[in-house]
Amino acid sequence: MTNGDYYQLLKLLAPEWTVVGTVLAILFADLQFWRNRSVAWRSAGAASILSLGFAAAAGLLIWKRAVTADLLGGTLVLSPTSQYVKLALLGLAIVTAWLCTEGEFTKHVGEFVALIALATAGMMFLVSTENLLMVFVALELVSLSLYVMTAFNKRSPRSAEAALKYFLFGGMAAAFTLFGFSFLYGLTGSIHLPTIAAKISWHAGDPLTLVAIVLVVAGFGFKIAAVPFHLWAPDAYEGAPAPAAAFIASGSKVASFFVLGKLLSVGLPGVGGSGAWKAFSPGWLAVVAILATASMIFGNLAALAQSSLRRLLAYSAIAHAGYALLAIIGGSQPALLYYAITYAVTSVGIFGVVAVVENRTGNEDIAGLAGLRERSFLLSVALSVFVLSLAGVPPLAGFFGKFYAFAAAAKLGSSLGYWWLVALALGASCVSLFYYLQVLKQVWVAPVPEGQGKVAGGWVVSILLALLALAVLVTGAAPELLIRFLK
Amino acid sequence: MDSIKYLDPTTQFVLFSILKVMLVFAVAMTGVAYSVLVERKVSAWIQDRPGPNRVAPFFVEFIPVIGPWLTRLGIFQPMADGLKSFLKEDFTPSYVRKVYFWLAPAIACVPSLMTLAVIPFGSTLGNAANKMVIADLNVGILYSFGIVSLGVYGIVLAGYAANSKYPFLGGIRSSAQMISYEIAMGMSVVAVFLLVGDLNLSSVVDYQRGGLHQWLIWKQPLAFVIFMIAAFAETNRLPFDLPESETELVGGYHTEYSSMKFALFFMGEYAAMIAASGMMVTLFLGGWSSPFGSEPAGTILGGLVHIGWFLAKVAALMVVFIWTRWMLPRFRYDQLMDLGWRRFIPLALANILVTALIVAFTHK
Amino acid sequence: MPALTDLLFYGFAGLALLFGFLCVANPLSRNPVTSAMFLVLTICSLAGLFVLLNAFFLAAVQVLVYAGAVMVLFLFVIMLLDLKEEERRKLNKVALGAGTVAVAVIAGILIRAVTSAKPAADKLVEGTTKPLGRILFTEYLLPFEILSLLLLVAMVGVILLSKKELK
Repeated sequence: MTNGDYYQLLKLLAPEWTVVGTVLAILFADLQFWRNRSVAWRSAGAASILSLGFAAAAGLLIWKRAVTADLLGGTLVLSPTSQYVKLALLGLAIVTAWLCTEGEFTKHVGEFVALIALATAGMMFLVSTENLLMVFVALELVSLSLYVMTAFNKRSPRSAEAALKYFLFGGMAAAFTLFGFSFLYGLTGSIHLPTIAAKISWHAGDPLTLVAIVLVVAGFGFKIAAVPFHLWAPDAYEGAPAPAAAFIASGSKVASFFVLGKLLSVGLPGVGGSGAWKAFSPGWLAVVAILATASMIFGNLAALAQSSLRRLLAYSAIAHAGYALLAIIGGSQPALLYYAITYAVTSVGIFGVVAVVENRTGNEDIAGLAGLRERSFLLSVALSVFVLSLAGVPPLAGFFGKFYAFAAAAKLGSSLGYWWLVALALGASCVSLFYYLQVLKQVWVAPVPEGQGKVAGGWVVSILLALLALAVLVTGAAPELLIRFLK
Repeated sequence: MDSIKYLDPTTQFVLFSILKVMLVFAVAMTGVAYSVLVERKVSAWIQDRPGPNRVAPFFVEFIPVIGPWLTRLGIFQPMADGLKSFLKEDFTPSYVRKVYFWLAPAIACVPSLMTLAVIPFGSTLGNAANKMVIADLNVGILYSFGIVSLGVYGIVLAGYAANSKYPFLGGIRSSAQMISYEIAMGMSVVAVFLLVGDLNLSSVVDYQRGGLHQWLIWKQPLAFVIFMIAAFAETNRLPFDLPESETELVGGYHTEYSSMKFALFFMGEYAAMIAASGMMVTLFLGGWSSPFGSEPAGTILGGLVHIGWFLAKVAALMVVFIWTRWMLPRFRYDQLMDLGWRRFIPLALANILVTALIVAFTHK
Repeated sequence: MPALTDLLFYGFAGLALLFGFLCVANPLSRNPVTSAMFLVLTICSLAGLFVLLNAFFLAAVQVLVYAGAVMVLFLFVIMLLDLKEEERRKLNKVALGAGTVAVAVIAGILIRAVTSAKPAADKLVEGTTKPLGRILFTEYLLPFEILSLLLLVAMVGVILLSKKELK
């Protein structure tokens, strides 16, 4: 490498360095100037710095959106798609940061917001690489930030419990992933995905290859909370501070799905095997199909029994991980990204509403939403948009997300080999309508409980929630607006 | 001597290595014994009292002039001390954890001796292939840091094995202290290796061979100061002897130990001091080279002179170690941690940065 | 002398396995401190294996970081927690059975995989400091730099989580 190469690297990574600079700015400002300010002031200040810094990073991304690069043995691979995914991640992070202004779960908001930014940096690196080492390091950066964020509410034992479960499962999953990566390296002598792809097809059917695939998919199955690696999700969603849960459910999902899809389609295309009906053959398609099936069935059935809103969202997230895996099976990157991004926008929106409602009422159950229509019309409408989108009601984004994902899976193979999976997904979606409508019933039908007044979030959060709801509506009504960037 | 030349190189190497190990061990152990004496004498002079001046074998009194003089200097005291350690009752309290109680003194003593293996204590002796270092590792300094970091176990386990409060506190303190200062120590030498460009300690000496003005202490004074102070902390010496601070913890981690096991801790501490002094001499004070500049010796006599220079420098640093002990009061524990984490580590980092910038702009 | 390196390899590998086993299932002692000490020995044996692979830097850092720092802190915590319960706890038969089955299955797959695997072409590994440093600052520059962010997260997290929340 010459000095010119370093300079080019610096230039290409300008958005990432901007994000890291934002982290340092937040930590510095919070430590140096805002010691004696109120928590509310500091959280708003930190979120403002983060928004400014991320807006600058987003500006850089948009300016250089047409970039393509492949540097340093695939550690940095940029394409227009990865740039747009990063834009989405920045947006999700900004919303998450502003959620910190709802409710006071810690005094150290500066650090919390800084961790959001650090996790975002990790996600940005994660989506712009085709190198196993880089994938692992970036994944750990994201995970570690999220573990700490989950544990941030030190006054709540549930936050500690959630963080411990998340951390222990996560550490185990990371070990699996790394073990799987080491097998891939051992088989092919490379950690560069295209090189692996070129060499691994000789090893199809080799038990070592299968072990590697199972281990890698298991590790990522944890990140996306697919059954049977979902055990941490309900507790983490329930115990974590609302912004942390929102980020786990949104940004982390987008990045993980993107990189899992890339890993399987770019790195292991030759060892897919098949998950088609009556034509099973070992390979990652079969493994992913099994995970998708289990996630859709278990997630939806378990969600039926929940009374806590956050646990319901966790099981719904498990089910949605199953749907998104269909897009991975279908091998369609636009479908996967459309699904992941719209799902993330919806989730972060729901957690925004949850944060506001919990902060004002202290009630975490679905019943706590009773009569929300009269207590806050804006929140009710936004929540309805989000929930209906999750349920997959047209013309919201969730519908088209599922449509693209299912269509991608259905098109795969000859004579509709994956019809069984698509049929299952459709059935599961119908089941899910039941519990989503339960939530809406509380909002629109249930009587307003005695002595409960208005619920209103801060103005920034309200505007952001309205914008998110609008985004769900618009990307649903006109999916071309989003999907043309992801092709 | 000539018969050695007819052996094949591997056998020669093995033979010389064994010889070097035995010699270094013997010198180090004698050094340990006499450091104790120096410690007692120096402390006595500082406190204006004579110190050990009686012990002598019976025949010494028949030697005119020199005999009484040696006795007054306490030259024979270490032998008596050693004998005493062996003869005292080796008491094992009933409540201790036996296995660790026996292991700990050995673990405390061994690492400091192992560090000596990578320190070049002379140039060459006889022919050029016969380097005066036991193991000329290309990651020499990392090896020594690794071994030194294992030294903590002796103290921690001693504290744990004793199964009583004060030793335990001493063990805990020492583990925190040693890990903290190891970081500062490691960071400080990074700057040295940036200049030298090699982790091999022989290369470090080669770099400074030109004479007094080439010594790294002038180019890296900050690193030297940090390394030295960290070495005090690593060897549990005053002003950082909190693990064994008598006023708070009775005797710290070795409260429950007696006789030779206690002596092993003592020897470990002095051996660690010798190793640390040797390391400082190698890194900052020109190693075996003389202040007037030296080439690797071609003759046996030249080689012996180089070893002499090395030993003299080590002895001087040992005196500094001992002298400091009797001049400074003990730190409080929070001050110790504050100094390590908030002063030395940032300073060492800044030193690395500045050195790296200078190297980057002046290199080539 | 290939025979000597082979011998050393089997020696270190055997020791690593033995100590590893004694770390998790020591029949003589259920003392957590003993387990931790065997883990230290396992790490040192692994360092020996690294030396045999010419990865001197890795070997030294393995001892320095894992045995010298991480495990000391580990020991620190174990001692402060005073896990007497752990010593008295009986082995859970079901867990033991399940663990044995899992180990047997994984071992079976791995043995089959390893015996069927073809050894890769010998690559000259340069594990000394200079080539390692060069590769870290060129080919693996990006992961290396990101690790510093990872450490920042760990630092912020640890300080926050371990510090007492003042009411």
